[in-house]
Amino acid sequence: MSTIHRTPHRAVTATALTVALLALTACGTGFDDGAAGDGPGGGPLDVLIAPSGDAEAASVKEAVRQWSTQSGTKATVRAAADMPQQLSQGFAAGNPPDVFYVSTDHFAGYAANGSLEPYGDQVDAAFYPTLVDSFTYEDTFYCAPKDFSTLALIVNDAAWEQAGLTPDDYPTTWEELRSVADRLTTDDRVGLTFGPEWQRVGGFMAQAGGHLVDSGGSADVDTPENAEALAFVQELLADGVAAYPADIGAGWGGEAFGTGAAAMTIEGNWITGSLANDYPDVEYTVVPLPEGPGGPGTLQFTNCWGVAADSGNKEAAVDLVRDLVSDDQQMMFAEDFGVMPSVESVADRWTAEFPGQAPFMAGADHAQGFPPVDGIADVIADFNAQLEGLAAGGDPQDVLSSVQSSLEAVAP
Amino acid sequence: MRSTRGLVTTSALYAVLVSLAVVYIFPFLISISTSFKTDADAAAHPLALVPSTFTTAAYERLFLNSDFPLWFTNSVVVTVVVTIGRVFFDSLAGYALARLPFRGRGVVFAGLVAVMAVPGVVLLIPKFLVINALSMYDSYSGLIIPLLADAAGIFIMKNFFESVPPSVEEAARLDGAGTFRVFWSVVLPMARPALVTIVILSFQGSWNELSHFIVASQSPELFTLTKGVAQLSSGALSQGTQYPLKLGAAVVMTIPVAVLFFVFQRRIMNSSAGAVKG
Amino acid sequence: MSRATSRVTRRGAGRGIRSGQQAAGWLFIAPALVLLGLFLVVPIAMAAWVSVSDWSGRGNPFTGAASFVGAANYGELLTGGGLAQRDFATSLRNNGYYVLLVVPIQTAVALGLAVLVNRKVLRGRGFFRTAFYFPSVTSSVAITVVFLFLFTASGAVNRLLGYLSIEGPNWLNDPRGVLHILLSAVGVQDAPAALEAAPFLGLSWWDWLAGPSVAMSVFIVMAIFTTSGTFMLLFIAALQNIDGEVEEAAMMDGTTGWQRLRHVTIPMLRPTIFTVVTLGLIGTWQVFDQIYAGSQGSPAKTTLTPAYLSYQTSFSSQEWGQGAAIAFILFAIIVAMTILQRVVLRERDAIPRRKRFHRAPVEAGAQR
Repeated sequence: MSTIHRTPHRAVTATALTVALLALTACGTGFDDGAAGDGPGGGPLDVLIAPSGDAEAASVKEAVRQWSTQSGTKATVRAAADMPQQLSQGFAAGNPPDVFYVSTDHFAGYAANGSLEPYGDQVDAAFYPTLVDSFTYEDTFYCAPKDFSTLALIVNDAAWEQAGLTPDDYPTTWEELRSVADRLTTDDRVGLTFGPEWQRVGGFMAQAGGHLVDSGGSADVDTPENAEALAFVQELLADGVAAYPADIGAGWGGEAFGTGAAAMTIEGNWITGSLANDYPDVEYTVVPLPEGPGGPGTLQFTNCWGVAADSGNKEAAVDLVRDLVSDDQQMMFAEDFGVMPSVESVADRWTAEFPGQAPFMAGADHAQGFPPVDGIADVIADFNAQLEGLAAGGDPQDVLSSVQSSLEAVAP
Repeated sequence: MRSTRGLVTTSALYAVLVSLAVVYIFPFLISISTSFKTDADAAAHPLALVPSTFTTAAYERLFLNSDFPLWFTNSVVVTVVVTIGRVFFDSLAGYALARLPFRGRGVVFAGLVAVMAVPGVVLLIPKFLVINALSMYDSYSGLIIPLLADAAGIFIMKNFFESVPPSVEEAARLDGAGTFRVFWSVVLPMARPALVTIVILSFQGSWNELSHFIVASQSPELFTLTKGVAQLSSGALSQGTQYPLKLGAAVVMTIPVAVLFFVFQRRIMNSSAGAVKG
Repeated sequence: MSRATSRVTRRGAGRGIRSGQQAAGWLFIAPALVLLGLFLVVPIAMAAWVSVSDWSGRGNPFTGAASFVGAANYGELLTGGGLAQRDFATSLRNNGYYVLLVVPIQTAVALGLAVLVNRKVLRGRGFFRTAFYFPSVTSSVAITVVFLFLFTASGAVNRLLGYLSIEGPNWLNDPRGVLHILLSAVGVQDAPAALEAAPFLGLSWWDWLAGPSVAMSVFIVMAIFTTSGTFMLLFIAALQNIDGEVEEAAMMDGTTGWQRLRHVTIPMLRPTIFTVVTLGLIGTWQVFDQIYAGSQGSPAKTTLTPAYLSYQTSFSSQEWGQGAAIAFILFAIIVAMTILQRVVLRERDAIPRRKRFHRAPVEAGAQR
């Protein structure tokens, strides 16, 4: 290198720099324009999951391994650390995983920008219609629902007895819910806890006869029904018979329930697994959510098996999904980590196997899902942020009208 | 009279200093002690400096049953390569700016000043775009290469080289040594204090870097400590609070910079100060 | 530069060396230049394009996967009237209060620490300096984890407050604005009608005047805790430069320590105070790491900052254009604040600031 100072001109380096910059902006090698890599090449599959815990991760890995041996296509399963970030960076970089979980709140966004392969019709299974709706964007059924959960009321048996309550007292109306929550509240325990988010509070909205979007898909948040629901929630909080988990030193309802900081919580199927793991000594009963002025109502949650439009081996990917949503495989998942199969065909088998969790399955009949609207994730996030303020005395009417206007912007 | 008043003032001064020092040190002490507690103990006695039941469960989980060792390795690899790169490229560029009269030097210098004024956070999105366009996304090269040179380091080296008397180089040059040779075997060895400053700054900078790693990669295999622990802290690896685990991770990731700090303590105190004086 | 050049020429070393140095100069600086060009200059140009495009995060934004939408992204943020505008305004408010509190307090604390530690006769001086500086070298992620633990509902801080019979708030989950809390203490619970108007960026006066939330206060304390040490070192260096002069002044009129500090030391430290405030402004408008690792904007978006919002908008919501636009507006704010501060402080600045350029390297170093 000591001889280079004989080189005549700085132009060399200047040119090199310019060339590098031009090459960079012009060709853009890292971005996939979507045209390439679609062939039925048969490359290995990259499966990215967001498991609820170790049990789910192990179970999915095993299922994929079995499919892999059978089909001869290599497949690796990875657990995501931050699913939305990893997926959107993957889509933008043109190298997303082949098969992955898609949550309902991000589904519409991914479908709208063409990241998802609409393969829904290629899978022949008896999915619940409401689940299919959750993954239908602009009349196209994109991806197969993986499984689902609904919300129910989880009651701590010991606390229940201690308060002199019997199984006849399980609340079936809002008034009864209020009164048992009151009786269960002591100095170091609240009667009821649920997270400050639409994903829990929305259950009350459903029971009041409200919803986020009407049957035509238009924003319909600012309604008397929803106002009644939020007012009821605020009363519970203000009376001190209910509290958000964070206010009683817990990260979520299940933790508050497990530690005994709350005697009842509103959670979904997933709570059974975590209670068994983290608080095996807590005895509990699952009962349906009480009916509100609008009748019974709950929320349902689901993920689908997304297949990337940029996947190099879509055929195998769809084949893998067919296997993962088959009746037997779904029952296996249910046993391993407590979810409910997304197909009606095994509903009875499931209820027979998990009688204690029947209320979750029963909820499917009147459950509302996450509306598949592009951009709704931010609106719900904003709604949730405002719900946090409800405990501090925020005005429910203000919350609803602001959410209505944000939702109108994406769901006119 | 006067001495009594002096004594009172002095005692008051020490009292203030000691209580401030306690405030500054306590968070670190409590983190270390909590990392050896059980989850329940940590929740029940958050102020106790001695665990009521001493356990290394948090560290066992970290090192034997999580990706923590992988994060640690990645952080070490990135930090070492970045530090070596910065020492080399910063001193080359600093030397050119200080000693090699090339046409356009003024423009380059002004450009560097302008570039330094751009806040790093503003570059999050664009950096991802560039790294992606260069096909370096989600690879070690994407983590490392963009950090290999920094304008601040170039300035420190430039300032240092300007303070070295030119006579030494001239002598070497008259002996027939080429520019690179003069730089490498004559000037660089004299620049030890400045190089140590660069080492400290780049080690600390790349070890503690977070946002660049977020936008430059997504695979769990490429997680560094900052990224991993940030995920841990926002609840990715755990259902509950698990403070001993999180604090254990924080403690371990602090150790290397702490060691560096104590080894070069005097130099750090002086170099930060020295750089200000310019 | 001209000194070295002319000397070489004078010695008659000749054209060979000069032109050799031309090439060598470019070669020496080329690697750094390419790196900085690629990862600092080019990105800005690319982001500028994305900020006026509708790229949704798929395909190459530079070859047809995105189309030009003019100032639509900026308009959405500044005048859109929707959620994007409200989020952006909220993040500006949050970060604004953060800057307003952190910058003066950290400057004062750093100066105070420096004056205390800089005493001639002080035993354990090294120890104190180390203690105060150490938080500055640790990673923001590690410190965030520690603070999350200290400030839990039944955590160390609230236990300490408990000894003083104060019932601490549930710090990181408390979205109430500090000013709102103070107002409610004097009986103002809801927004007075006069403050319900929302004339600026779609956020009502009442919301603008909320003050930092209790949760944000934790991050404010954390910022002061971690940066005061760095700035203390800057002040110590400056103090050591002026020690002699201060002593002379003291000898002459036999003033008290406080008077000396007030009338002699602080005026002489003006240039350093200027530097510290500039660095503080630049740093505090960029809060990202702590929010990413600590709160992700919750509770109730009261810890959302423009930097984090920009990241989230792009990388999670896939509104890349809008995210890039937020970054550029943030850039503009930082530049504007720095210039404004320069103008305001310069007017009252009697002492000429020497060698301003040479201070620049520390800016970057100190903020990392």
